[in-house]
Amino acid sequence: MVRKIVDIQDLVKTYENGRVKALNGVNLEVYEGDFIAIMGPSGSGKTTLLNIIGGLDRPDFGRVIVDGVNLCEVKSLDEFRAKTVGFVFQLHNLIPVLTASENVQIPMFEQGLPNKERIRRAEYLLKLVGLEHRKNFLPTKLSGGERQRVAITRALANNPKILLADEPTGNLDRESSKEIMKVFLNLNKKGLTIIIVTHDPEIANCAQKIHILRDGKIVATKKPDPSKCILSI
Amino acid sequence: MRFATLILKNIFRRRVRSFITILGISIGIATIISLGAIVGGAVFTVERMLKSGKADFSIIERGISDLTFSKIDEDIVDEIEELEFVKKAAGIAIGLVSLKDRPYFLVLGIEEEDLPLVGINIVSGTAFSQEEDEVIVGEIAAKELDVEAGERLSLGEEEFTVTGIFETGNPYFDKGAVIPLRKLQDMMKLEGYVMMIYVDLEEGTDIEDACWLIEEMFPDLVTVKSVAEFSEVDRSLEIMGSLSQGVSLLAILIGGLGVMNTMMMSVYERTREIGVLRALGWKRRRVLVMILGESIVLCLFSILLGTLLGFIAIKLLMLSPIIGGFFEPMWTADIFVNSFIVAFTVGLIGGLYPAYRACKLSPAEALRYE
Repeated sequence: MVRKIVDIQDLVKTYENGRVKALNGVNLEVYEGDFIAIMGPSGSGKTTLLNIIGGLDRPDFGRVIVDGVNLCEVKSLDEFRAKTVGFVFQLHNLIPVLTASENVQIPMFEQGLPNKERIRRAEYLLKLVGLEHRKNFLPTKLSGGERQRVAITRALANNPKILLADEPTGNLDRESSKEIMKVFLNLNKKGLTIIIVTHDPEIANCAQKIHILRDGKIVATKKPDPSKCILSI
Repeated sequence: MRFATLILKNIFRRRVRSFITILGISIGIATIISLGAIVGGAVFTVERMLKSGKADFSIIERGISDLTFSKIDEDIVDEIEELEFVKKAAGIAIGLVSLKDRPYFLVLGIEEEDLPLVGINIVSGTAFSQEEDEVIVGEIAAKELDVEAGERLSLGEEEFTVTGIFETGNPYFDKGAVIPLRKLQDMMKLEGYVMMIYVDLEEGTDIEDACWLIEEMFPDLVTVKSVAEFSEVDRSLEIMGSLSQGVSLLAILIGGLGVMNTMMMSVYERTREIGVLRALGWKRRRVLVMILGESIVLCLFSILLGTLLGFIAIKLLMLSPIIGGFFEPMWTADIFVNSFIVAFTVGLIGGLYPAYRACKLSPAEALRYE
């Protein structure tokens, strides 16, 4: 029996003292090992939903349970973020003065790992995404796709249960986008749950399920067409 | 990578800005160190002057604002010497005269027989006789002026023959010269008066009792045994110390504002990055420690540069005949400990608000920051 890893019911999130409703009664279930894509027009609430699942923001109403943790009730979300989720953003947001390996080590400081172990683990993860040979390069010396792969590696640093990616290919060319999607599919094959927010149907069609968000509500859920995945075209 | 490495790398992201900040605080540290060395030197000088040679204590006029205004009737020296618990009393006069390119040069007027009591040891040549045109020159002054026994020396408008070179261990005296008391009294229009009396007590005499008795007998005089007592009479040390503290405080305040400004700018520039760190699981405390760490390390770098600048400043100051002729800087551990504490505190306070701002950022809002 596959475990439900994200369970969201009647989620409401408002901004500006309730004047702006970013999410208006979202219901979503994600199971372990799922690869979910969330699509929708700008301002539909995609990033807000991802932020709430990732413990970056708190809901106003509703129930959000991620990996057994009720995010509406937990006092501090820091530990939840450190242990349960890994984030990948549209911009890689790597620290420019740190090498690829050092950037990957950043989240590990909270885990209390010894320095040698941090280095060893960063090198192992970089090897997973094919960047072992670039471990000592600064972000400025890496291509766009390589930077984003380092960012994915950084998100994996603490061995998260869910990988949350907000428009991870939004800033990349087609070839780099393919590289990133290959990495995501590889990770998903190894059992990692992935939730990706995207505008791009060619990216969304690589997932196992697509949720369409509009005006803060999931208005449709459809099965992707693998023939339209960026890796198949 | 260690956490400390991250802090160091963050500091040197903006090298020029960090260097200017370090330079700003360094100037404050250099001010503390150099003023501290000068005030320390002055205190040491006074200490040595009060207890020169065999003297147990000294006596000056009560109610004066500065030692150079002290004026004691010369007969009192004899009266004090006649007291049964007093072994020896020596009256001295202190004057400033021009010498070569120096506007001020310290000259002491002492009876030849009193030289040992004042702690004057002849290291070459001989002491002066009571001839009025003879002088002995301090060891440091002799080196600086390049004079030896037998040579002629002009002090003010008078010509003297150097009979010997002396040392006291007190740089203030060793940078000056000693002439017969009568001669200096004559030069300074101080006939019949001395400025200070050194007192050597008979063995076994209680110093406190002796001081109390002398002050009872001569109400216009005050006995001085320590720098603290001297400061109660002569406010110049206190003024110098307060001035030094005031200037140091101002310099540090400016440096502190510099650190705060730098760290605030750094936090604003890195708002999105801080959001990413929080998203990656960093706790508020770690963000706080990182920003505070950067601020403190900036200030620790400032100690190194500030100490170097302080040494250079003192070396340059000592080249000036007016300052170099009187002051001998005193480098004590206290000065460096104080400057370390000040720099650390500046780093802590300067970094506290930016660090607080950084750790209070909501990760979601920080990630939206453009």
